[in-house]
Amino acid sequence: MERFDVELRKVTKRFGEVTAVRDVTLQIRSGEFFSLLGPSGCGKTTTLRMIAGFEIPTSGQILIGGQVQGHLPPHKRPVNTVFQHYALFPHMTVYQNVAFGLEMQKVDKAEIAARVGQALELVHLTGMENRKPKQLSGGQQQRVALARALVNRPKVLLLDEPLGALDLKLRKNMQIELKNLQAEVGITFIYVTHDQEEALTMSDRIAVMNRGRVLQVGSPEVIYEQPENRFVADFIGETNFVTGVLQRAGLPVEIEVAGQLVQAGWLAEGVRTGETAVLSIRPEKIHLLPGSANGEAHQFGTAVSGQVERTIYLGTDTRYLIRLDAETRLVVRMQNTQVGHSHFAIGDTVWACWNPAHARVLSAEE
Amino acid sequence: MQAIIRRSPAIRAWILLAPAVAWLFIFFLAPLVIVLIYSFLERGTYGGVVWQPTLENYRRVFDALYFNTFTRSVYIAVATTVICLILGFPMAYFIATRPQKIRNSLLLALMIPFWTNFLIRTYAWLTLLRTNTGLINVTLLSLGIIDEPLPLFGNDFAIILGLVYGWLPDMVLPVYAALERLDRSLLEAAQDLYAGRWQVFRRVIWPLSLPGVVAGSMLVFIPSLGAFVTPAILGGGKSLMIGNIISNQFLAAHDWPFGSALSMLMMVFMLVATLIYFRAVNREGGAGL
Ligand SMILES: Nc1ncnc2c1ncn2[C@@H]1O[C@H](COP(=O)(O)OP(=O)(O)OP(=O)(O)O)[C@@H](O)[C@H]1O
Ligand SMILES: [Mg+2]
Repeated sequence: MERFDVELRKVTKRFGEVTAVRDVTLQIRSGEFFSLLGPSGCGKTTTLRMIAGFEIPTSGQILIGGQVQGHLPPHKRPVNTVFQHYALFPHMTVYQNVAFGLEMQKVDKAEIAARVGQALELVHLTGMENRKPKQLSGGQQQRVALARALVNRPKVLLLDEPLGALDLKLRKNMQIELKNLQAEVGITFIYVTHDQEEALTMSDRIAVMNRGRVLQVGSPEVIYEQPENRFVADFIGETNFVTGVLQRAGLPVEIEVAGQLVQAGWLAEGVRTGETAVLSIRPEKIHLLPGSANGEAHQFGTAVSGQVERTIYLGTDTRYLIRLDAETRLVVRMQNTQVGHSHFAIGDTVWACWNPAHARVLSAEE
Repeated sequence: MQAIIRRSPAIRAWILLAPAVAWLFIFFLAPLVIVLIYSFLERGTYGGVVWQPTLENYRRVFDALYFNTFTRSVYIAVATTVICLILGFPMAYFIATRPQKIRNSLLLALMIPFWTNFLIRTYAWLTLLRTNTGLINVTLLSLGIIDEPLPLFGNDFAIILGLVYGWLPDMVLPVYAALERLDRSLLEAAQDLYAGRWQVFRRVIWPLSLPGVVAGSMLVFIPSLGAFVTPAILGGGKSLMIGNIISNQFLAAHDWPFGSALSMLMMVFMLVATLIYFRAVNREGGAGL
């Protein structure tokens, strides 16, 4: 059996009437960069706080390193947290901040000095030991918060939107630094963010949350390419949702949209033939061909015909809005691989084609 | 002239400050200077002074009778301050950690008794504490819990009780203000970094609330040291403080120069005590955020 650093088993947390986290089960592997991704208020922070011990689950179990945590207070758990607004002690210097956790664990003075030195070196803050947090920039404060947590060599580091307060450029730099740092120290990171791009670029695996539930767990590629429900497909990247009626549940899945039958490579559980369902396909997975190229279009696997309604030139690629019928539009993104070659004009009749493996039929709900 | 005023910010600032400066000079500095001068003069027979310089008043200040009262007053003021801190800190912490709405009600509840006149409230304690007819002793005696009345009145205990009662809100409010500003996530960060309850208090809550503790201690210590209403009523005429002696010199003994010398001694002592206190606190590192 695989050992997990952190395990949540059917964890639910209620605050009075509000259910912040609902029946969440997660298994986080050792050394993994694991992200909790979801919109504001979906329960990411609450999940993290339960792992840290600041909140106790209403029901369910949390295990860290195979040990059931129960009501264990935060200072007895082998995890450390990097808080959203850093929560640096304003009355202590950088050195004192970083040394705090070691002092509390009664590590001896010489070792504290050595380890604090290492930690500050790791986050490139050597020489700032005697400054107070107020005398540091946002990015530097962020690093102190990291060093203060890492110096304790926790099993697991919990990070609650650690880059949320930084400006875009610094944020991008820190993303890379954080990722490198994690690889260097080999500690398991549980990383909370509502920024899908951040989650995609940094994580080994992502859990997408909404309204207290975990909707899907997987690698960035799986989350992006194989969303299992409408929310995940919609929250990560851009996608087309086209409502239709399911015609065939076996492979290839067939669904009728805008009066035309198209194929998809995957069907969500519980959707039956004859029921309303949603076809989901990413704009860049669709290829446009002229309306005259009948045969070629069907070699792609599946195709629908429509008219170009709008084109937007974006430099690297061009976005087309394709009208299938009065209610139905498809967004298509074609790369501009050739100079001076505008593919299609408004009003052109075109085939929108795709490989069925790239399209998914999802439940119409959620 | 107007042009000069408009152009020079310094002159404008002085003009704006003038009323305040005049106020301080007339009602604060001038009386202080008068007291200082009087303390080096000889007494007039029916009050007032004779313009004859002398150091006699300062010599008398160190007479055992007065000096002992002075040291006892210091002891009472220190005890009052410490007790106010011990009682007031948890109160302030409790209030500061309640939800906003409850907080305001609690603060109001803390203030309500103080809408009544100080004298009346002190007399109310008298009816509770008096040795033979006080409510506490009468009740305990009639219930047979005690055989002899407890010495609740006419001693240092009664005075300290009265002072603590009177000045407790002056401790609670500044400490509350400091604690309310305290970021809760700092406490969680400390817990997260393996600090138990006591260490969270010692290393985070306490140093960050020190500015409030300092302000509160000053607000309690200074009026306690100079108190004369509370010892006059609850001291039962037997237990007096330096404030009573000073007021006696002016009102009863008609010895203004000696009263002035005692006042100067008290002020110098307060100044020195305050400075030492501030330095000690700064070493703790809290106030210098
Ligand atoms: N102490 C609390 N008392 C009552 N409700 C709470 C408490 N903490 C969180 N909630 C509620 O639980 C839900 C989840 O909150 P949580 O802070 O976990 O969201 P989040 O995903 O971290 O959101 P954000 O991205 O905005 O930080 C919210 O509806 C919130 O209002
Ligand atoms: Mg949050």
